[in-house]
Amino acid sequence: MNIIQVNQLIKTYPKPENKKETFNAVDGISFNIEEGEIYGILGPNGAGKTSTLEMLEGLNDIDGGNASIGGLDVASDPFKVKKIIGVQLQANEYFDRINLGELLILFGKLYSHDVDPLDLLKKVDLVDKSNAKPDELSGGQKQRFSIACALVNDPKVLFLDEPTTGLDPQAKRNLWNLIRELNTAGMTIVLTTHNMEEAENLCDRIAIMDKGKVIAEDTPESLIMKYASKPPIAPLHGNIEDVFLVLTGHELRD
Amino acid sequence: MITNSQLHLAKVFLLIFFRDRQSILFSLFFPLIFMGAFSFSGGEPDPVNLGLVNNADSSASKNFSELVIADPLFNVTLGKEDALKEQLILGDQTAILVIPKNFNSNEGSSELKLLLDASQVRQQGVIKEVLNSSLLAIENELRGIKPMFTLKIEDVKARPQRYIDFLLPGLLAFMLMNLCLAGSGFNVVEYRRRGILKRLFVTPILPKDFIISIVLARMVIVLMQISVVLGLATVLLDINIVGSFLSLYTMIILGAFIFLCIGFCLGSVAKTQEAIRPIVGLITFPQLILSGVFFPISSMPDLLQPFASALPLSVIVTGLRDVANDGVSLFAFNSTALGIGCWMILSFILATRYFVWKEVAN
Repeated sequence: MNIIQVNQLIKTYPKPENKKETFNAVDGISFNIEEGEIYGILGPNGAGKTSTLEMLEGLNDIDGGNASIGGLDVASDPFKVKKIIGVQLQANEYFDRINLGELLILFGKLYSHDVDPLDLLKKVDLVDKSNAKPDELSGGQKQRFSIACALVNDPKVLFLDEPTTGLDPQAKRNLWNLIRELNTAGMTIVLTTHNMEEAENLCDRIAIMDKGKVIAEDTPESLIMKYASKPPIAPLHGNIEDVFLVLTGHELRD
Repeated sequence: MITNSQLHLAKVFLLIFFRDRQSILFSLFFPLIFMGAFSFSGGEPDPVNLGLVNNADSSASKNFSELVIADPLFNVTLGKEDALKEQLILGDQTAILVIPKNFNSNEGSSELKLLLDASQVRQQGVIKEVLNSSLLAIENELRGIKPMFTLKIEDVKARPQRYIDFLLPGLLAFMLMNLCLAGSGFNVVEYRRRGILKRLFVTPILPKDFIISIVLARMVIVLMQISVVLGLATVLLDINIVGSFLSLYTMIILGAFIFLCIGFCLGSVAKTQEAIRPIVGLITFPQLILSGVFFPISSMPDLLQPFASALPLSVIVTGLRDVANDGVSLFAFNSTALGIGCWMILSFILATRYFVWKEVAN
């Protein structure tokens, strides 16, 4: 069953070099996500991944097309949608001088839920940090904490925006395990990444985005078979990075 | 009405504030220092250091010197012109008065010379005024003329009014303005820059929940800080609040509302933390000078007065002063009440008009 349906979604921004003209950062994309999937949106910087996620999360207006989560239309029912989703943003800063336990209680209250902060911190392996402030955490701990914040309302769908960017290999693997655990417990997970290994190992299906469009969508294995069976770079076997480069080209992106 | 999540968010804002010991100290520091400084001087100007050179040797000149020496406005040093001139240059004397040789009531009019330090412009007027009236008094006495008019000053309010009583409401209003602008404007910009606003709006709270929480938290902070200053002033400086505390606190709450609205508006206009500082400075600094915090607006140039008295800080200062010094009831419909009403409406419209939600969150 599809828990998320995205149909011809468009996001328009003024051009940075000429504010009078506009361009479509997200250019009429469509995809469906099944309940219980880990769905990856892969793309170079500026492909429209974050804009897509922000429209689904109700943080950004939808300029064209429509999207629904759990049968609720995102544009007309944003507050109902917010109640059933959990969101981890790229920037994860919090109020100063408020510790992790207090922040979790606060986020719970914003959903009118009473949460047990220790229970949530246990899930993300941060129980001993309950009295710490967010700025005392390491990069990996911070990411795990922001996932804990996203779980306060026991969401059906969890959105993760580049969850492992900037983490060391250990912290990255640790976070993957956490995401798998949450998924096994029944949560649908939508994540954006430009880490090929992450897309390949973690995701059930991947959409590759470039210049605001979805240019390929399938399971990692099928994509490799289709685009990188004769790998252009790796001589022995192809991987998702080969697929990515075949599809989006080799030129440098900023 | 007020929801649970609004209350909890307000509680968190209070926690953030009360855990920041430094900013609590500094917001109390300014009004307390000023109060301390002005409570000792009592607002009376210090006596002017006046050098007196008596070149004449008549009874008239002697009379005149005695009158000048007896005047509490002057701290007189008698001496020779050259020696006193050196002191004037060094800044030990503010002015030198030279009585000419021919200072005598019988020989028509004679001219007195006043040497002044040009940097002391402020005192010139006072010195001239006092000298003129002293001269007139002596003239009358010597000529045996009874003055036709005398002036007896009687305070119609018939209660002691010290400078500190005048100053306190001004300082309270200024403190109120700073606390509110910092709490709304600065916080909004800071939370937006760090992505905290965005994180909050991932949850199903509405913009108004956020605003109500900040307003609630700031009201508590403002009322507590002001009560500390007011309490200290009443206990240590024996300040006499003539009006009711209900009126005083209601006035403070209305003022907090105006400045919180202005703060939200500024926080939405300023895109960065670097921009908000000068913008807030542009709003607070002229008001500190023009709004009658330290001296009454009526002592300002006529041209400035209508503008100065229309400023938001002015209406709050005047309102608080009316209650504290004159015991005016809050419900007296006067121009101050009208001013407060206008600013409440205007600031609320500006705040809601400019506090564009999506832009603030992104």
